[in-house]
Amino acid sequence: MLYKKDFPIFKNNKQMVYLDSAATSQKPQVVVDAVNDFYTKNNSNIHRGLYDLAQRAEDLYEGTRKKVAEFINADSKNEIIFTGNTTESINLVTLRYFEKVLKKGDIVVISEMEHHSNIVPWLRLKEKLDIKIYYIPVTKDFLLDFDKLLKAGLDFKKVKLISLTHASNVLGTINPLEEIIPKLKSKFPNAKVLIDAAQSIPHIKVDVVNLQCDFLAFSSHKMFGPSGLGVLWAKTKLLNDMDPLFLGGHMIETVTKQKATFASSPQKFEAGTGKLEAVVGLGAAIDYINSLNIKNVQKYEDKLTKYALSKLPKIKNVQFYGSLSPKYRLPVFSFNIGSVHPHDASEILNRKQISVRAGHHCNQVLMEILNSPSGTIRASLSIYNTIDDIDKLIEGINMVKKIFKN
Amino acid sequence: MEDPLYREIILEHWQNPQNYGTIKSPDFKIEGSNPTCGDKITITVKIGAGKISDIKFTSEGCAISKASASLLTEKVKGMKLKDVRKLTEISALKALPIEITPARHNCALLMFRTIKEKL
Repeated sequence: MLYKKDFPIFKNNKQMVYLDSAATSQKPQVVVDAVNDFYTKNNSNIHRGLYDLAQRAEDLYEGTRKKVAEFINADSKNEIIFTGNTTESINLVTLRYFEKVLKKGDIVVISEMEHHSNIVPWLRLKEKLDIKIYYIPVTKDFLLDFDKLLKAGLDFKKVKLISLTHASNVLGTINPLEEIIPKLKSKFPNAKVLIDAAQSIPHIKVDVVNLQCDFLAFSSHKMFGPSGLGVLWAKTKLLNDMDPLFLGGHMIETVTKQKATFASSPQKFEAGTGKLEAVVGLGAAIDYINSLNIKNVQKYEDKLTKYALSKLPKIKNVQFYGSLSPKYRLPVFSFNIGSVHPHDASEILNRKQISVRAGHHCNQVLMEILNSPSGTIRASLSIYNTIDDIDKLIEGINMVKKIFKN
Repeated sequence: MEDPLYREIILEHWQNPQNYGTIKSPDFKIEGSNPTCGDKITITVKIGAGKISDIKFTSEGCAISKASASLLTEKVKGMKLKDVRKLTEISALKALPIEITPARHNCALLMFRTIKEKL
């Protein structure tokens, strides 16, 4: 109950058991208020507005950029690019960095537990540039098998990118990137490292210095902020090497009839008017997480994880997909109930106002590995969930079993 | 315990679907899929005297899609092709013994849409 009271959606949906935070998080009142305040007190376009209101709007917008930089321990706020979402951030890097530097035969290393947003953009480059994609396999314990990668006999000079999710949106596995990236970098010295932090960032500390990565992508809406807003962080030197994707307002230095020159980062990647209120809301979301202290968040969620792991995998006829060890784990639980299709199970759970996601969760590659072509039921928790929510889920699972006689 | 959607008749057709399988030398074979949920269906049909003389299907999907395919193959089996062509999605949904919520229309209509496309 400690955190639930901060989230107004639960006041308006008293019986709801929301177990779909890996899809999107609910928003605390402070974020809703920040967006509301922006429109009721401070709304103006930013950049070059020479009046008080515009200055206030700009301070809020650029203030969030600074908060994001501090939150992930970036060198400078100019390394923070606002995009539409994680997918857009990864696509920007694909189109404006790797499409330029990759050559035929180069190798991009990803994993079998990637979200489609970290597979499909590379498949396009594979078609276009004839590069190779190596998938780090998922072990029987639902972890990444980094040893397999190290022993795969890849031409180490050709590995130009290692692009991995920090945590799986299906299995809940947190990949031990802080330990493994230095090893991978010494084995593959030409490789850049991109981290998809969309799932991890609302749950654990994400620090680009400790991660030793070159690019980091995440979304506001999964970390209690407004939707429609993502972040790309990259090292300044890499951002300098990247051309802008969209051209027009806000992103130029000078324009003549025949030629335009571009501003530096971040402006050159943010053509047109941005998502002002969402950025301001993200600032409030970061303040909120900081006020809780991410370590307390992790401690609380670990309790939920331990409890769920002590119950869910033990239910008869439940196939559980994920590590049974609470170490290196998010409170994200994928499972199936007997031969019941996940969509049918989800519909029954909804009768008890239990909101779960059912299907392939944008991870068709992983579903094949799990031998689960219809996908899974996924219950993903956050700080506003309680032990009681897990008990209700278990009751719901038992109801599914009863109806389907499984 | 009986659920309004997963009534006994739906569960019966889910577990023991009618016309399930493949016709050996069909007049045509069609495949359909529902990318939003990954449901897949393969339908084989035998035509005789302007009628669907035999129809079988195999599918991967939820209970609603499998049971609806079972029930709707029962409905169209023996029907004249011209009458099948006249069937609308609304009439197909009405032919099912349960009310299908809009979120599950794609599941319930997978078989119907697949065969309509061919005819």
